[in-house]
Amino acid sequence: MTGPGDEGGPEGSEVPGEVPEPEQAAVKVPRPKAPRTPETALVATGVLLVAGALLYDVVAVRTGHPARRWRAEIADELATRHLDDLWVLVGAGVATLLGGVLLWLAFAPGLRRWLSLRPHGGTGATIERAGIGHLLADRAAGLTGIEHLRIRIGRRRVRVTLIGPADPASVQRQLREELGRVTLARPMRLDVRSARGAGGVAG
Amino acid sequence: MRRGTVNRTLLGVVGAVLLAVGVLVLAGGLDLYGRLGVDPPGWWPLTSPDQPVVSARSRTRWVGESWWWPTMIGGLSVVVVAMVWWLVAQLRRSGPTSIAVPTPGASGLRLRVRTRALEEALEAGTSVLPEVERAGVRLVRAPGHPRLRGAVRLTPGGDPAGLVEHFETGPRADALSSLGLPELPADLRIRVLQAAPTEPRHWLSRRWRRHPRVE
Repeated sequence: MTGPGDEGGPEGSEVPGEVPEPEQAAVKVPRPKAPRTPETALVATGVLLVAGALLYDVVAVRTGHPARRWRAEIADELATRHLDDLWVLVGAGVATLLGGVLLWLAFAPGLRRWLSLRPHGGTGATIERAGIGHLLADRAAGLTGIEHLRIRIGRRRVRVTLIGPADPASVQRQLREELGRVTLARPMRLDVRSARGAGGVAG
Repeated sequence: MRRGTVNRTLLGVVGAVLLAVGVLVLAGGLDLYGRLGVDPPGWWPLTSPDQPVVSARSRTRWVGESWWWPTMIGGLSVVVVAMVWWLVAQLRRSGPTSIAVPTPGASGLRLRVRTRALEEALEAGTSVLPEVERAGVRLVRAPGHPRLRGAVRLTPGGDPAGLVEHFETGPRADALSSLGLPELPADLRIRVLQAAPTEPRHWLSRRWRRHPRVE
């Protein structure tokens, strides 16, 4: 998540994270899940190719034709290569990795770029994380004393690093107001710090 | 069953099989059992690094049985048919082409509204809401009743909460009342545009202007 040009140094002053306003309590909204269609298309095609080729050859053998070269070769390799053969180990490693990735895709909800808003009646909504960043950046653009601003939007917290004489506390108040306007289902923490505290007083 | 559930089940099953086979072969090939002092039960496969992956004996163990070939061919056919069914299902349009409209007053009259007409009406209604730059609405299948799925782009500084409220009381309420539908839940996906800063305030901010540093 850390982009290049991270000017924020350890000497920066930080505004202590305040407790979010009580009226902004979290609302339980089921997290949207990615449908995983493209990934499943790849897997389905792969399974179809393997199972289809095997079925074709098995049926061919049962109807009196000889087995294809590829199946005889694979059976021969599997019967002669031992478990500590390098290629067997490499293949097993690849299968383990691929299996882990597929299981991750099956269980992880995905859609990490989207955050749920409070529903209103029968209308639920999600907002793009970058969109929240755009709102905050536009709000900060109207403030004075900010020379450079870096906004990182996580899934639970927003970190703003600013360079300039502006007071981080007042910037934080303004940005918190803007963040409150978004009405996220689970309100985010907002940390504002000034990287090279040129006159910025923590408070 | 929802499409996402089907997809995730397929991914999970294939992933679990690959992972299990890979871990078994790795454990046997690297002799993890001997190194860790674990003594697997007698039926446990692939325990010694010196044994072949699939020996000719284990490959032909059941070939003589009468049930082997029918089971093999039947199982493979089921897998092939299921995969073909899945791939063909992706080609269908994801939503219904029309939805039934209740006609409580008139018996013997059945009304259907084309999905595209409803979508266009909702899109037009959403586009004129305040601060909306662009809007697209789709009607998708869902368990029980269809759902609306909207993608909305707001102008810089737009108000997401206001959009949700306006959509709920505006286009969605209109569609519900004019069609007399009992239920039509909606999901909105909201993007917000960023205003381009008018002038570079500092040489450091040049980078920020070109690419908003938002992650």
